[in-house]
Amino acid sequence: MTAVLSPKGAAPIRRVAVLGAGVMGAQIAAHLANASIPTILFDLPAPQGDPNGIVLKALDNLKKLKPAPLMSAGRVDAIEAANYGSDLARLAECDLVIEAIAERLDWKADLYAKIAPHLAPHAILATNTSGLSIESLAASVPAEVRPRFCGIHFFNPPRYMYLVELIATQGSQADTLDALESFLTMRLGKGVVRAKDTPNFIANRIGVFSMLATIHHAQAFGIRFDVVDDLTGPRLGRPKSATFRTADVVGLDTFAHVVKTMTDTLGNDPWHGLFKTPDWLQGLIANGGLGQKTKAGIYKKNGKELLMLDPSAGEYIPAGQKASDAVKALLKIEDPAARLAALRASELPEAQFLWACLRDVWHYIAVQLADIADNARDVDFAIRWGFGWQQGPFEMWQAAGWQAVAAAIAADISAGKTLSATPLPAWVMQREGVHAAGGSYSAAENTLQARSNLPVYQRQLYPPRLLGEAAPDYGQTLYENDSVRMWLPPTATGGQDVPVLSFKTKAHCIGAGVLAGVQEAIKLAEQYHPGLVIWHPEAPFSVGADLLSMGPAFMTGDFAAIEHMVAEFQATSQAIKYAKVPVVGAAQGYAFGGGCEFLMHCARVVAHVETYIGLVEVGVGLLPAGGGCKEFAQRAAKLARNGNILETLKDFYLAMATAKVGTSAEEGQQIGYLRESDIVVMNANELLYVAQAQVRALAASGYRAPLPPKAFPVAGRSGAATIRGQLVNMLEGGFISKYDFHIGMQIAEVVTGGDVEAGTLVNEDWILKLERERFMGLLKKGKTQERIMHMIEFNKPLRN
Amino acid sequence: MSKQIQEAYVVAAVRSPVGKAPRGMLKNVRPDDLLAHVIRAAMAKVPALDPARVEDVVVGCAMPEGEQGMNVARIGALLAGLPNTVGGITINRFCSSGINALALAADKIRLGEADVMIAAGTESMSMVPMGGNKLSLGSSIYERDENVAIAYGMGLTAEKVATQWGISREDQDAFALASHTRALAATANGAFADEIAPLEVTYRVPNLATGEVETFTKVLSADEGPRADTSLEGLGKLKPVFASPQKNGSVTAGNSSQMSDGAAALIVVSEKILKEYNLTPLARYVTFAVKGVPPEIMGIGPKEAIPAALKLAGLQQDQLEWIELNEAFAAQALAVSRDLGLDMSKVNPNGGAIALGHPLGATGAIRAATLIHGLRRQGKAGSYGMVTMCIGTGMGAAGILQVL
Repeated sequence: MTAVLSPKGAAPIRRVAVLGAGVMGAQIAAHLANASIPTILFDLPAPQGDPNGIVLKALDNLKKLKPAPLMSAGRVDAIEAANYGSDLARLAECDLVIEAIAERLDWKADLYAKIAPHLAPHAILATNTSGLSIESLAASVPAEVRPRFCGIHFFNPPRYMYLVELIATQGSQADTLDALESFLTMRLGKGVVRAKDTPNFIANRIGVFSMLATIHHAQAFGIRFDVVDDLTGPRLGRPKSATFRTADVVGLDTFAHVVKTMTDTLGNDPWHGLFKTPDWLQGLIANGGLGQKTKAGIYKKNGKELLMLDPSAGEYIPAGQKASDAVKALLKIEDPAARLAALRASELPEAQFLWACLRDVWHYIAVQLADIADNARDVDFAIRWGFGWQQGPFEMWQAAGWQAVAAAIAADISAGKTLSATPLPAWVMQREGVHAAGGSYSAAENTLQARSNLPVYQRQLYPPRLLGEAAPDYGQTLYENDSVRMWLPPTATGGQDVPVLSFKTKAHCIGAGVLAGVQEAIKLAEQYHPGLVIWHPEAPFSVGADLLSMGPAFMTGDFAAIEHMVAEFQATSQAIKYAKVPVVGAAQGYAFGGGCEFLMHCARVVAHVETYIGLVEVGVGLLPAGGGCKEFAQRAAKLARNGNILETLKDFYLAMATAKVGTSAEEGQQIGYLRESDIVVMNANELLYVAQAQVRALAASGYRAPLPPKAFPVAGRSGAATIRGQLVNMLEGGFISKYDFHIGMQIAEVVTGGDVEAGTLVNEDWILKLERERFMGLLKKGKTQERIMHMIEFNKPLRN
Repeated sequence: MSKQIQEAYVVAAVRSPVGKAPRGMLKNVRPDDLLAHVIRAAMAKVPALDPARVEDVVVGCAMPEGEQGMNVARIGALLAGLPNTVGGITINRFCSSGINALALAADKIRLGEADVMIAAGTESMSMVPMGGNKLSLGSSIYERDENVAIAYGMGLTAEKVATQWGISREDQDAFALASHTRALAATANGAFADEIAPLEVTYRVPNLATGEVETFTKVLSADEGPRADTSLEGLGKLKPVFASPQKNGSVTAGNSSQMSDGAAALIVVSEKILKEYNLTPLARYVTFAVKGVPPEIMGIGPKEAIPAALKLAGLQQDQLEWIELNEAFAAQALAVSRDLGLDMSKVNPNGGAIALGHPLGATGAIRAATLIHGLRRQGKAGSYGMVTMCIGTGMGAAGILQVL
């Protein structure tokens, strides 16, 4: 296997210092802690009390912030508090120093002068600025440190935002940037985009331009804010928060700050006139309406009622109006070229508005590409990863027909409809797109640029792909049915080839086809391969059993057919567990119900840190009957000391009875769905690489499948009665419904082994039979059927 | 009136300060050590008394297992330095264990089978949780509906009492505030000075830098529970924990007793011993009664036990000058007080368990010490006082003392 961490022998980054314990600094430190990297967080010495008081307060705050910056509360221990007054010598221990203090050039310059003598000779110094010029900051960095200085722009919240922009200076060493990019990618699980040193770099420059253009056109076409958000959200392949709610979430003061940077520093930008915060927005900020953090911004809630600002009246009015049906219909046109043409041709203001917004963003990126980015790929990824668009702006353009769109933009420029009269650059007319098999277009170099060849990207077997790039090669099919495909990736990175099983079903749900497919794939793997990886090219791992596929049997009351399927489910889980070759599950996103049960039966799981795993069957009025109860019963027996099975079992029980879902892979381990021996990786794009490596390692160790336990003790009737005591309290206290109680008792009686005495020895089949019986019993109840129908219809659990 | 051949007199009544569980100063003080501390302190009150004359040590403990298992009474007696000829028995009736210990000890004397007894209680809720280390219920309790409430948590029973007796959230919170106000005033006035035996707590902290254990001590001399920052507004903000809003839950952490660590010991002797050692009696033991009630409304237990004890003693309710009515929950304390028409100025004058804490099996002995010293401070020699409480699974207990 190739070593791919540090290119060209650059020193590995093992310990990091973060300077500045503000919102970003503390959260960057938190994410380093998530990655198990010892981190020292610095701030000013506190004027009173503990000299580390400022940092300690920030660390305390990390535990309360939502969304949680830490993957589990204990992670905070990886962060040491320090202060500039007494601890600067500690910087010598650090391989990377990230400066994240307030956006003031003079303050940053002072700090660089102060820390420079303490930096290790190999240490990288990176500034997390979003607005200041890296080159001008570099000028204030002592000369000997300058080659190891660069910009590093995290997005808020750093745990969840994939994008990090890296900005070199004239004097930056290539090795330094490469080492940092490799570290950010593999160790912190980020998507790195190299940006040029221009104001607001790439993502904020384009993303905020798009918001300003949207605000401008909303006013020009007279579109209400709520309608703007309905039009510019998921209907356009963008996040639900769309335009104005995104501004509220980001913070209107932060948004205004980014705009001000553009006002102050982009005097030569032909769109400079657009770079101002509208009066109504300034008014909101002046009155303390900063968005979500102050609970009032462009939107606010009055009890359950959602209100939005009416900028003309300066008052809040009821929100919730949607786009017109006519325009919604246009947006549903499948073919992107036809969809765009229809928008342009329509005289409806909402359609005109959308075309104007798209047109001006395209106009802007075409003109600015040469200045702000090495190539169009970096622009698209920056917007996808920094603003959550499903497609980058260049991709959208290319998808809609490059030349047709270019001609339409040019026509609007001539007609004086665009926000700037600047002509499109000549290259636009000479091309058919910006992304091609050979790479993405660089306007500065007038060539296609291939992707980075840093060794760390060899770990990403199927990296995020742009429209227009070469289609990924999903190798040779070994076996395929309607629901699964077993295949061999084209290039093995060493050792034996490891086949992959991918589900083809919606959200990778599990029906009869998947069950048969998994069993078949395991048979083939046992015969011809060192093991098997279960991996899908995209999240989620699986939302669980395919409830819809049970529909026909359900309608006709063919419960025997359903019971047969449950038995098949269990047989599949057991096949995974007892396969003669290791079956490794590679999980990201949701792993619910049957998906969770499959993972519980794998020889090993490789999980992305953001894996949300849980046995959520009670949400549809059922219990885990794919071996989930059985695994927990057995694990509790194994973990129990002095015969106190219930002590360990009760937490497992509670997880199932409350449909508890881990908020990270680590929490999934703490709950017990995942095991300590399972592997957690930071970057989802590395899952397949690591999972294959795990199969090879397990195979190389002379893999021995587990032996079915002949007998293990259960908690028995007393265990169930004790659990029942808890349920009685919850029922009488009004915390659960009578039916919740009923389901809770079914799970309790399965997981404690049924009506036998405590300590009775049973085997796996015994618990599996109980799982089946109780599952079928629940399925025949009207209230379970109501829950299932409700989930299918509304995708939300029903409490009845 | 019960028959007896001689009277039983309390000649010493001391208690530890009550610590908050599970994070107070006593969290690492073992309940056997705590018991030894109060036994030593009680013996120190009557230095003339020959320890070898102690017949037996009766100790109440509600969860007698783990750190307070192994018959903690005998261990505490030995740790206290009593001669090994002295016996020790641990008894359990949950929250009445402490006053039950006094009743059993006094009865041995009243029967003439002993002349010197020690009655005590000890409980570390920091170390042994409610329900014990391995809660296990049998399936038989669900076979009859009237037994299901054996599984009820105490808070849920308080909700049932609140509903059945119509005790409002506001009244519960006001009662809780009064408990804190009274406890703070009593502490400030030194009202607990005669009963509390301050405790030196040893801290052993590993200094990870030096690899040495650093040892230091602090003295705890007052109860940790009372909070000066308690307010109706603050209490009003707390969420009910045992019943949902749909069930109109009203019992909160603020109007429930606190989890605590503590111990108390009383020395009970016959008249013969009073004379022999020239001891001053603090109080005369009068009687004790226990009554059962439905488990789901266990909090109402004292309503049955109080009249029963008064009847045994041949006393009228208005003859009680001081009533220690354990505040398991404001809801049940109010329900009992209202139904019996108790004079609230005489109920818990120094505050109760909501402010002072409730170390389960020790509480009865602790509050007996409070009652004895409280009435003596008021100069009401000859007057009667009572210690009463509700008991899990549905009982009430009441013990009566005459202060001398």
